[in-house]
Amino acid sequence: MSSADVFGRSDRDREQLLAETFVVLADTLVDDYDVVDLLHQLVDACVNLLGVTAAGLLLDDQRGNLAVVASSNEETRLLEILQLQSDAGPCLDCVRSGAPVSVDDLEIDQARWPVFAEAAMSAGFRSVAAVPLRLRTETIGALNMFHGAPHPVAVNERRLAQALADVATIGILQRRSSHRSAMMAEQLQHALNSRVVIEQAKGVLAERNGVNMDAAFTALRRYARNHNRKLSELAMDVVRGEIDPSTVQTGRRAT
Amino acid sequence: MLSITGAGISMVTKTGNRGVVCATDDVSARIEDLQFTLGEGPCVDAAQFGAPVMIPDLRTPDDVVVDRWPAFIQGADAAGARAVFAFPLRIGAINVGVLDAYRSVPGPLGDGQLRAALLAADAAALALLHIDTASDDLFSDDVDARSTYQLQVHQATGIVQVQLGVPTEEAFLMLRARAFALGRPLVDVATDVVARRLRFSLEDQ
Repeated sequence: MSSADVFGRSDRDREQLLAETFVVLADTLVDDYDVVDLLHQLVDACVNLLGVTAAGLLLDDQRGNLAVVASSNEETRLLEILQLQSDAGPCLDCVRSGAPVSVDDLEIDQARWPVFAEAAMSAGFRSVAAVPLRLRTETIGALNMFHGAPHPVAVNERRLAQALADVATIGILQRRSSHRSAMMAEQLQHALNSRVVIEQAKGVLAERNGVNMDAAFTALRRYARNHNRKLSELAMDVVRGEIDPSTVQTGRRAT
Repeated sequence: MLSITGAGISMVTKTGNRGVVCATDDVSARIEDLQFTLGEGPCVDAAQFGAPVMIPDLRTPDDVVVDRWPAFIQGADAAGARAVFAFPLRIGAINVGVLDAYRSVPGPLGDGQLRAALLAADAAALALLHIDTASDDLFSDDVDARSTYQLQVHQATGIVQVQLGVPTEEAFLMLRARAFALGRPLVDVATDVVARRLRFSLEDQ
């Protein structure tokens, strides 16, 4: 029996999309990839496959905070809700316990994380779930998903979310530095710093080209893809003034 | 848990020159010197790749491709170091230098030591950035240390860099100085910059 999802897609359409998504991810992992770019593909896949309203990925920064490395949109409000969870929220609980955490309806279950629940609801979210990024006994972060309506997480949804989180874990930890197999701390810090460079580059592009953060990020990703560049390396060139911001926005290679 | 035997900090100036800022003992000084002289070692790689480089045992070839730093490994071992950990002093594209820690006995850093080292590296990066401006009042910490990890701060840095036509590190310092002057959290000022409610202009500086 076939049932349409929130996008009106049939089971067969979803299976096709799922297969395509994992083929793309597998292709990325065997190539020389950019970690932050991969993590963005994952949160996008999360939105497309699971029909969630928004998704974000947080990593343990190994200093006692959770840091955002990827989010399905660049709105400051979503970033703030994600970042709030360094203090309290589903992601912090998920990272501490290493187990999935979910709340079907934040309005009913506000007391657990009052500050987070209020911020999430005022941004239009009613339901939240987090699955851990886990390698054996170590939890390095969490994949956070939001629904605009009350939503009990089905078993197959949780399994798919966990599979995406597992790909993220592998993607972060298997990236080898150029000379040797690197350790977890090196990989995590690399991913976190790459994200900071990308934010700085977005700021430069947004201001120089008069666009918002989402448009700046889209242009950066598109240019990197079309010119076969790693996202964080391109971002570094933008921040250091080694590439003209307008060529990144228009997509034409500098001459 | 084994503790760190010694540590050193080297700085990268705006012109790309590097120099040793401090070292807690002779072995640390030797580790810094070796890397400058040879142009190789964990510190050099940490600066180049922007991520920590951890060598829990200099004598375990599994952990190190010996071909990459042949002279450094020999020299550091001879100086009395068995484990070396290098942390880049980095804020995104801002590259300030490297913090090197060593230990006379082998073994990885524990979680608490790693956390302490990363926080020390964050503090050292800010301190070195401020050396030029001699504005140590910014350390009285109205500026929440956690702000460094909030993405709006870095987006705002990029925006201010363009508004003022200054290098990234200066833009970051201007943003912090403005937050301090206004008595507001850095992340709030950054959010205003990103939302275009606040602009920086040269006349204000």
